[in-house]
Amino acid sequence: MTELHWLGAGEAARAIAARQLSPVELMQALLERIGRIDPRLNAFIRLDADAALDAARAAEAELAAGRIRGPLHGVPVGIKDIIDVAGLPTTCHSKILVENVARADAEVVSRLRGAGAIVLGKLSTHEFAIGGPSFDLPFPPARNPWNRDHHPGGSSSGSGAGVAAGFFPLALGTDTGGSVRNPASACGIVGLKPTYGLVSRRGVFPLSYTLDHVGPMTRTVADNALLLNVIAGHDAADPGSAPGPAGSFDHLLDLGIGDLRIGFVRQFHETDLVADPEVAAALEQVARTLAEQGARVRPVALPSLTEFAAVNRIILTSEAWSVHAPWLRERPGDYGQLSRRRLMAGAFVSAGDYVGAQRRRKEMIAAVQDAFRDVDILLCASSMEPASAIEDADATARTYPRQARTLFNVTGHPALAMMSGLSRNGLPLSVQFVGRYFEDATVLRAATAWERASGGPKHPPID
Amino acid sequence: MDRTLIETLARAAGLEKALAEYPDDVAAAAAQAQLQAGTVAFPIDPAAEPWPPMRAGDRL
Repeated sequence: MTELHWLGAGEAARAIAARQLSPVELMQALLERIGRIDPRLNAFIRLDADAALDAARAAEAELAAGRIRGPLHGVPVGIKDIIDVAGLPTTCHSKILVENVARADAEVVSRLRGAGAIVLGKLSTHEFAIGGPSFDLPFPPARNPWNRDHHPGGSSSGSGAGVAAGFFPLALGTDTGGSVRNPASACGIVGLKPTYGLVSRRGVFPLSYTLDHVGPMTRTVADNALLLNVIAGHDAADPGSAPGPAGSFDHLLDLGIGDLRIGFVRQFHETDLVADPEVAAALEQVARTLAEQGARVRPVALPSLTEFAAVNRIILTSEAWSVHAPWLRERPGDYGQLSRRRLMAGAFVSAGDYVGAQRRRKEMIAAVQDAFRDVDILLCASSMEPASAIEDADATARTYPRQARTLFNVTGHPALAMMSGLSRNGLPLSVQFVGRYFEDATVLRAATAWERASGGPKHPPID
Repeated sequence: MDRTLIETLARAAGLEKALAEYPDDVAAAAAQAQLQAGTVAFPIDPAAEPWPPMRAGDRL
C-alpha cells in the first residue's frame, strides 16, 4: 500500500470500509507527520489531535458494529480557519477574532461529518482571507512544502501547504479572488472554485458576499470530485445557494476528452500579463497534450484581466468594508498592515462606483457566457510565475496580482487550478480549467485527462 | 486624491483613529480605491442593470 500520508481520500475510504486500514492507524500516522514537519510549515493554527483521535476510534468502533457513515468514513480533513467548527475558535488568523469560539459547524463541516470525515483542526489563512502572507499577525504564515523559503499562495495557505505536505488528503478553502486556486497553484495540488451557489457559505466568515466561494482542495482530481460530492447541494439558509439537487461530480472522470471543445485563452498570459516563459511553455504543453487526446483546442479572447481585477476589487472592498468598518474604526491596530490597507480601501469607494462595478460585472459575465457558446472548457493560466520568496514582501506584492483567477469570482463560473509542471528551481507551475455554470463535473473531467497524461500528482521533497 | 480630501473622506467614514495612528495606511487605501475605479469602463447605457438582479421570492 502507498505510504499512509500519501494515501488519497478515496483510497483511504475504500481501505477503511474494507477493514484493510484502521482509521486510528491512519490518524496516528498523520499526527506523527504533522508533529514532525508542521513546525517548519505552519499549516495549522490549531491542531485538534485528541478530538481527531477520539473520532478515529469512534469510526473504528462503528465499523466493527457494521456501520459506515458515508463515503468519507474515517478520512481526515483540514478546515481553513474562517470556516466554523463547533467548539473551536474561528480566528480568521486575526487578533480581532482570536477568542471567537464557533457555536455550530458551518454547513460544509456538518456535511463532512455526516459523510464520516474527521476534522483534524483549523488551518492558516491570510488574515480574514485577504491580508497575507504577513508576519505581524498572532500566528506565523504557512510556508510552501516545495521550498519553505517560498510562500504557499493564499489565502487558503494552510489548506494548500497541508494537502501538499501529506498532512491530510482533503481540505476546505475559500475563494473570493482566487484563494483556493492560488495555493493549489503554488503547492502543486488540485483546487476547485465551484460554481457560485453550488456549495453553502453558511458558517463561513464573509469577505465579499457576492464573490465568496467554498472549495475543495486535494492532491488528486478524483478526490476533489469526491469531496465536492459531499459538500455541494442546496442550503436554504445560504441566500446565495442555488436551488435543486447538486448531482454527482465523479461520473464523467473516465470518459476522456475526445468530444470536448477547449478554448485556450492565450491573451491572459501573453499580452494582459506576460507570464514567466516556463509558465507559458507548460500551458502550451497542456494544450498540445489535450489536443493529442482528441480535444479540439481553439483560441478564445475575453475582456482584459486588468479590468476584471479592478471590478473584483471594487466589489470586494466595498462588501468587505460593510463587514469590517466597525472594527477598522475602533481597533485598526489589531489588524495586520496588509489587511488594514486592503480593507480600508472600501471606505473610499463611492456607492456609484460599487453599483457601476456590479453593472460592468453583468457585461463581463455575458462575455464569458458568449465564449461558452463555442467551447465546453476554457484553458488558461492561473499564476503567471511560481511562488516568490515569502520574506521578499516586494516580490510578493508584485507577483500576487499577476494571475488569471479573480475574473471567475466576478463571473461565478467553476474554475480549477492544478500543476502544469515544475520550474527549473523545483516549484510548481499551474494551469486553470474553467467550465459553464454548474458543469463542474466537466471541469473535473478535463482536469483528469491532464492529470493522467502528466503522470499523476507529484509530492514535494519535504521529509 | 489629495491629502486633504483623503482626510475628509476618512473622517466621514469614521476612520479618525486609523488616520491618527496609521496615516500612511489610510493614504494607501485611498490610492488603491482610486486606481481601481479609474480602471473600469463603467456602463453608460442606463438600461445596463447590476448583477445580481433583484429577485422577489423563489418562484412565480
